Amino acid sequence: MTSHDLRDVLNIPSDASAGPRPTKKQKTSAPRPNLKGLAREVQNLGGDNPIAIVPEVSIFKKRRVASRKPAARWELRAFTNSARADDGALLLRHWRRKTDDGCAPHGDSTLQDGEAQPGNGTSLDGEQKQQQSKAEVVEDSAYAKYNVQVQVPQYSEDQYHANLQNSDWTKEETDYLLGLVKEFDLRWTVIWDRYEFSPRVAGPNGDAATSTAVVPASSRPRTMEDLKARYYEVAAKMMAVQKAVQYMTGPEFQLYEMMQNFNPAQETARKEFALNRMARSKDEAREEESLLLEIKRILARTERFNEERRELYNRLDYPATDTDINSFKSSAGLQSLLQNLMNLDKSKKRKSIMAGPGDGVSPQTAVPGSAVSETGPGGGGGGHHRRESIAASASGNHRDSIAGTPATPVEPPPSATTGVGASKKKSSGGAQQVVERRKLTEQEEQIYGVTRHERLNPSGPTFRYEKINKLYSHKSGQQQQRITNALLELDIPPRLAMPTAAVTAQFEKLWSAVTALVDLRKVSDRLDSDIKVEEAKKAERDKVRAAKQSASGGGDGDLVPSVEKDNASERPPSRAGPAPGGEEKVAAGDGTAGGAAVAASVDSPTVIKEEQAGDKDKLGVASAAASRPGSSGAHKRSASVLSTTSDKSSKRQKK
Amino acid sequence: MAPPAGKRVKGVQIFRPFIYGTTARPFDEKTNPKPPGVPDDHTHSWTVFVKGIDDVDITYWLRRVQFKLHESIPNHVRMVEGEKGKPFSISETGWGEFEITIRLYYVPESSEKPQTLYHHLRLHPYGRTEEEKETMRLNGGEVVSWTYEEQLFNEPYEAFYDILTSGAVAPSLSNTGGKGAKGKKDAQQQQQPSRSEGGVLDRSAMIPLTNRPGQPFSRETEQLEIKKLQEAMIKIERMTKQMTEDIRKKEAKQQELKADAAKAAAANAA
Repeated sequence: MTSHDLRDVLNIPSDASAGPRPTKKQKTSAPRPNLKGLAREVQNLGGDNPIAIVPEVSIFKKRRVASRKPAARWELRAFTNSARADDGALLLRHWRRKTDDGCAPHGDSTLQDGEAQPGNGTSLDGEQKQQQSKAEVVEDSAYAKYNVQVQVPQYSEDQYHANLQNSDWTKEETDYLLGLVKEFDLRWTVIWDRYEFSPRVAGPNGDAATSTAVVPASSRPRTMEDLKARYYEVAAKMMAVQKAVQYMTGPEFQLYEMMQNFNPAQETARKEFALNRMARSKDEAREEESLLLEIKRILARTERFNEERRELYNRLDYPATDTDINSFKSSAGLQSLLQNLMNLDKSKKRKSIMAGPGDGVSPQTAVPGSAVSETGPGGGGGGHHRRESIAASASGNHRDSIAGTPATPVEPPPSATTGVGASKKKSSGGAQQVVERRKLTEQEEQIYGVTRHERLNPSGPTFRYEKINKLYSHKSGQQQQRITNALLELDIPPRLAMPTAAVTAQFEKLWSAVTALVDLRKVSDRLDSDIKVEEAKKAERDKVRAAKQSASGGGDGDLVPSVEKDNASERPPSRAGPAPGGEEKVAAGDGTAGGAAVAASVDSPTVIKEEQAGDKDKLGVASAAASRPGSSGAHKRSASVLSTTSDKSSKRQKK
Repeated sequence: MAPPAGKRVKGVQIFRPFIYGTTARPFDEKTNPKPPGVPDDHTHSWTVFVKGIDDVDITYWLRRVQFKLHESIPNHVRMVEGEKGKPFSISETGWGEFEITIRLYYVPESSEKPQTLYHHLRLHPYGRTEEEKETMRLNGGEVVSWTYEEQLFNEPYEAFYDILTSGAVAPSLSNTGGKGAKGKKDAQQQQQPSRSEGGVLDRSAMIPLTNRPGQPFSRETEQLEIKKLQEAMIKIERMTKQMTEDIRKKEAKQQELKADAAKAAAANAA
């Protein structure tokens, strides 16, 4: 702004100097860009300096050009919503701009429909038209696409039996759960709220249905975590069934892992914890805070304390062993060590203390060695040594306790005098190893076939089938034969086609079942033969009884006691009295038949009775053989089965 | 044998599937003419091999294979060095079946001792039933006797562990190409027509998802076998149940008989 302008504005006549001014001014102002929207005067107020006002250019909406076209046509169009389950039964209508591409008469017809429909009374032609147009016009709601269905795992009967068996869940309940999940789109709160499963009591008749309706959720209330756990279990397993784990893509595998690792207990705990946290009062919160502070303080103090203690231990002087003490852990190693020490002792006595080739050994090995010498069989060297050893061992023990006590040493004290220290060192080394190694994700482990086991023996290469070979080789030849026969019966080939981990595991199960069956068969066979023997005996008894009845004390007399004796010797429980009494009873029984035998038995009971028993056994067998061929073998076997009882009885007889 | 390198990785087992076996064909004027120089009494040509499943390379863990053939064959102990991507195999002609000793020598990094497998050379159709033999006979006279096996490395040395747990490309990445691009069907068909669907990665322990001609070992076969075993298991369970019931009955009978005998004995003794 210049004085000239002011004068100009105020109509003050310009003075003489004003003459050349305007030209000058014009010069300067001419190139200045004209800001739009500002009056020139206002702009000029700024003078040489540009005005710092940014003009606001307000752009108004352009006035609508009044179109020559007729007003846009709108129509009342019918629509359905495919998200509804009623299959288009509900027909709603909404206003829609009529599309231009639709030809005019058609549009008219639809418009007509809108009017015609409520009227409902048109010609046949109109109705036909209406039909036609409805078919075209009825469209799906724009919001139907938001009706997203949850994908719920599907399984067949077989798949359920193969993979999804659960002692806690029946198939019906699982079906029910999955149905609910689908219905409520995985909204667990709703699912849990609506979960009212009651197992069908009887058949699918009306009674059962009413009874279940009356007693809702009588079986067991399920928590939300239960439901989730089951659902995730099913979903994960079906996922794995449909696609082997190795072939899953990254996100798929993540989902799979997440579902598999669902821990209902942890979830419940988490919720409980959250509830508790919400529910606590102000005082409780304050108390908790103070307690936390206290804990922190205590921890800090213990840390310092530990630090100090460790320092103290480090100051304590003890011989540090950096050599491996493993060689002294075995008894042989200890023995050699003892020998060494004794030699050392002797040489010490002979030579000066400082010299001696074992000097390097002594400080390192003295401590473990001394512990040995105390407990060792020989009691170590002389009394001098012993005293020393006791002292050393005492200190050693002390150190043991030291090594054992600090639970969180950064580096274990390098004493390593005992197994504790050594093992600790080792374990920490192992931990370090684990850290150093590249960590494999679970998926990688699947791909590379890496599995982790508690115990693997032996380390080194082996073959998967070796395990099954071992199963065979651990059985006796006869058993092997039986088992292979049983497997052949089942149409299992002698060599598995694909001995993968899963197959071998399954085979092992089968194997144990088969061996159990084979064992059962053996027991059954034995029982069979036993029963046969018993039956034969019974038949004999009957025969004898019949003979007895027909002719008392005839030529068959020899046979009678034999059978009796046989029975008696095998069934001691039947004899109620003590052994000698029983013996006499038998003898008495003998006496009824043949007097001579009785006399003999009285004279020399030990020898003759045995002979008698043997004879009669033979007789019994022989007589039995007459009635049933080949029974002697069975007889023998039965004897072996009842070996405990027969042993007892034979012992008694010997007595 | 190289000295043990480092430590063994404790508690870890790594497996690798592979196939070994023999393929034999009788000499025939048209399909398999006898090459010159073959003795008159030789009736078959055969091949014994050790290879990876789905023909993947296994030379990264298997260095060489020694095949010990029958003594009558000249130079009967043969060592086959591993050649990347190729099976370890020997082709011979002969007239008789015998047992071949296959000795696997692992790569030096493994520091493992060689292991031995035995395989019976099959020249004639075999099988438990006539049917199986017949199907084999129909197969152009080719007698295939292949065995699936899994090599387990229990607690491998660290160096070897690293070898075994690296190099394969994860299936999620495999679409983007590279050496492990076997994930997608079409890509695979263009690049490596020999791969089966569901792709087996090099240097992995994966087993193909489905069978293909010439590759009879897959997850499919495994599932079939498991199913078979499960069925057998059910059968066994049923049999066991029946057997225990039988035994119970028999025991009852035995008890009865014994009681009877005891009664009789008591009666006699009295």
